[in-house]
Amino acid sequence: MTGAQTAENATVNTVLGPVPAQELGVVSIHEALLSVVPGAEYAFDITLDRAEIFATLAEKLQDFRRHGGGTIVDSTGMFHGRDVRLYEALSRTTGVHIVASTGQGPEEMLGGYFLTPQTDPPTPWPAEKFADLFAKEVTEGMVVPRVERRGAAGLVATAASLAGMTATDESLFRGAARAALTTGVPVSIRYGNDAVRDLRVVLDEKLPAGRVVVGGLDRRDAVAAGAPIKVAALGAYVALDHVGTEDDAHVTDAERAALVAELIEAGHGGRILLSSNATGVAKGHPANEVRYSHVLTAFVPLLKAQGLGDEDVQRILVGNPRDLLSTR
Amino acid sequence: MSRVNTVLGPIPTEELGLVAVHEHIGYGMPGSELDTTWWKTPEQRYAETVPKLRRFHEYGGGTFVDATGICNGRDVDYYRSLSAKTGVHIVASTGFVGGDTALPFFARASVEYLAEHFVHEITVGIGDTGGRAGIIKVGVSRGGRMTDLDKRIYRAAARAALTTGVGILTHLAVDAENAIAIFNEEGLPLDRVLFGHVDDGVNADKTRDTWIADQGGRIGFDTFGYETELPDPPFWARPRKERLDHFLRFISGEGRIRQVLASADANCSPLGWPGVRGHTVNYLFEDLIPDLRAAGLDEAAIKTIFVDNPADFLSIKN
Ligand SMILES: [Zn+2]
Repeated sequence: MTGAQTAENATVNTVLGPVPAQELGVVSIHEALLSVVPGAEYAFDITLDRAEIFATLAEKLQDFRRHGGGTIVDSTGMFHGRDVRLYEALSRTTGVHIVASTGQGPEEMLGGYFLTPQTDPPTPWPAEKFADLFAKEVTEGMVVPRVERRGAAGLVATAASLAGMTATDESLFRGAARAALTTGVPVSIRYGNDAVRDLRVVLDEKLPAGRVVVGGLDRRDAVAAGAPIKVAALGAYVALDHVGTEDDAHVTDAERAALVAELIEAGHGGRILLSSNATGVAKGHPANEVRYSHVLTAFVPLLKAQGLGDEDVQRILVGNPRDLLSTR
Repeated sequence: MSRVNTVLGPIPTEELGLVAVHEHIGYGMPGSELDTTWWKTPEQRYAETVPKLRRFHEYGGGTFVDATGICNGRDVDYYRSLSAKTGVHIVASTGFVGGDTALPFFARASVEYLAEHFVHEITVGIGDTGGRAGIIKVGVSRGGRMTDLDKRIYRAAARAALTTGVGILTHLAVDAENAIAIFNEEGLPLDRVLFGHVDDGVNADKTRDTWIADQGGRIGFDTFGYETELPDPPFWARPRKERLDHFLRFISGEGRIRQVLASADANCSPLGWPGVRGHTVNYLFEDLIPDLRAAGLDEAAIKTIFVDNPADFLSIKN
C-alpha cells in the first residue's frame, strides 16, 4: 500500500524546485530551520549572523542525512524567520531536500497590517485575502520582503490560538484551505484547544481530509481527548510532531510509540506522520534542541519494540509524507 | 552644548533650522512587506522621495523628523543616504507608532526591556547602521483607548526619555489622562512630550488639547494637509478651514504659541498603503505658512512655531 496514492509523476515543491515525490526519502514533516519571533530581528541584543546560522543548520541537516533522513519540511510559514535564499544554499550543500511553507498564525503572531489595517473601521483580513496571499507564494514564489519572490512554497502552514480559535484564526484556516485547493499543496494546521473542531474548519472549505496534516496531536490534552484517532478517522494526517519532547504539555516518547501502534491497530497506519518540531536556530524564543535525526536514531527503535515491522516504519517515514506533500 | 541626534550623527541644535516635526520617509504597517501590492523598486522609492526632500531643502527646510517607529518600515541606512545626498537633516525615531504596530517580540517584552531597547537605539545606534534615534515614538492603538501594551510602551518611553534626554512624540493625543498619569508617575516633565495629531479629522473632537497644554504638554497640529478638499481624501481628513481655525484658536490662548508644533505627517514614498496623492511635507511651505501669514501671523510667530519650539523640544536635555 506504500505509495498507492502517489502518482508516478508526482512532484513536491522544494526550495530548489519541484522534485519527484519518489526521491524525498525519509521526511520530517514539522520542523523549523531558522525560527525568529516576528520583531526579534530588530532587537538590540539579538544578532543574525548568516554565516553562523548556516553552519549550525548545515551541521544539523548533515546529521539528519547521515542517519537516513532525506527531506526536512520547514513548517514555520512566511513570517517566522523563513529565509529562502539561505535554505537554497543549505539544500545544495547538504543534499537534504528542504520544503518551505507559506501561511502564518495564530493571530497573535500576525503583523498589524493584517489585524488593524489603515481602513475605517480597521477590520482584520478576511479568509479570501489570506487565500490570495498564500496561494501566490505557491504559484508566483515565496516573498523575500520588498525584494523578490523565490521558489515555490510546498505547503500552507497555519495555527490557532491555544486558548481557542479566534475569528482571525478562522480566517487564516479558511484562507489556507482555499489556497491549498487552488494550488494543490497540502495544509498543515496546529489546533488551538480542540483538534477535531479546528480540522472541521478546513474541511468545511471542501478541502479533502487527505490534504491536511494536523500537528500537535502528541499534546497531552489531545491524547486525553482521543483526538489522534478521531482526526485519522476523518481522513486527515495525524502528526505526532514533538518526538523527543517530554514535558507537562506532551506525552513521552514511550507513550507516542504506543499511540502509533494503536493507530495502526485501528487501521490508520496510512495517516501517521512523525517529526520533532526541532528548531535548528531560534531567535527571540527558546530553541527546541532535539536533533532532526531523533526520530530515526531514538524513536524508530521504540516503534520496533512495539512490534512495528520495517514496512510500517517505511510507510510512516517515507510513504505517508510523500503522499501528503505531492502536489495535486 | 546642545545637540540633536540625526541619522548621520549629532548636530548642534542651532543647525536644525526650520523643522518638519512629524513626517515619514515611508510608513507601512508591520506585515505589509509580505504583500507585493505595495512593493516598490529602490529606483522608484528614491525617485518618489528625493525630489520632495530637495524641494524641502530649497524652500528653506532644515530638518525632517521621521516619526516611523520600529517594525513600520523604518530604514535607517536609506535615511542616511537620503540625508547625505539631499542635505536635509533627518531625525529617526525609536519606539512604536502604537501597540498595534509592535510585533510579537516587543508586544511580549517587559517595560524594562523596552526601555533598554529604546535607550540603546538613542545612545548606541539602531541595528548596525551607526545611526542613532533622536526621538521616541509612542501612540494609541486603533480604537482610541490606550491598551495595556500602549501603556507599557509609554512607560518605557518615559524612562528612556529621562535616561537619555530625548523627547517623546505621540501618535494621537486621545486618552491623554492615561498618558499623562504615566508620565507623571515616571517623573517626566510634560514639556518633553509632543502630543501629536490633536488636529486630525477623526480625533480632534475627542482630544483635550487645551487641557493637555494646561498640564504643560506640547501640542502637535501635525496632520496639516490631509484635507477633505483633496481628490481622494483619507478617512482622517478634515476641512482645510476648520483645521486652520482650530490652530489659530489654539495659539490665541495666552502663551500657547510657545507650546505648539506643526507638521504634515506626509509620506515621501508610502510602504504599505497607497498614500495620499498630492500631499507632501512641502504643504508646510506651499500652503500652511502662506495661510498663517494671511491670518496675520508675523515672521517671529512663524519662527517660534517652526524653528524655536522644535529646537527646544528636540534638543537632548541632559
Ligand atoms: Zn505619523
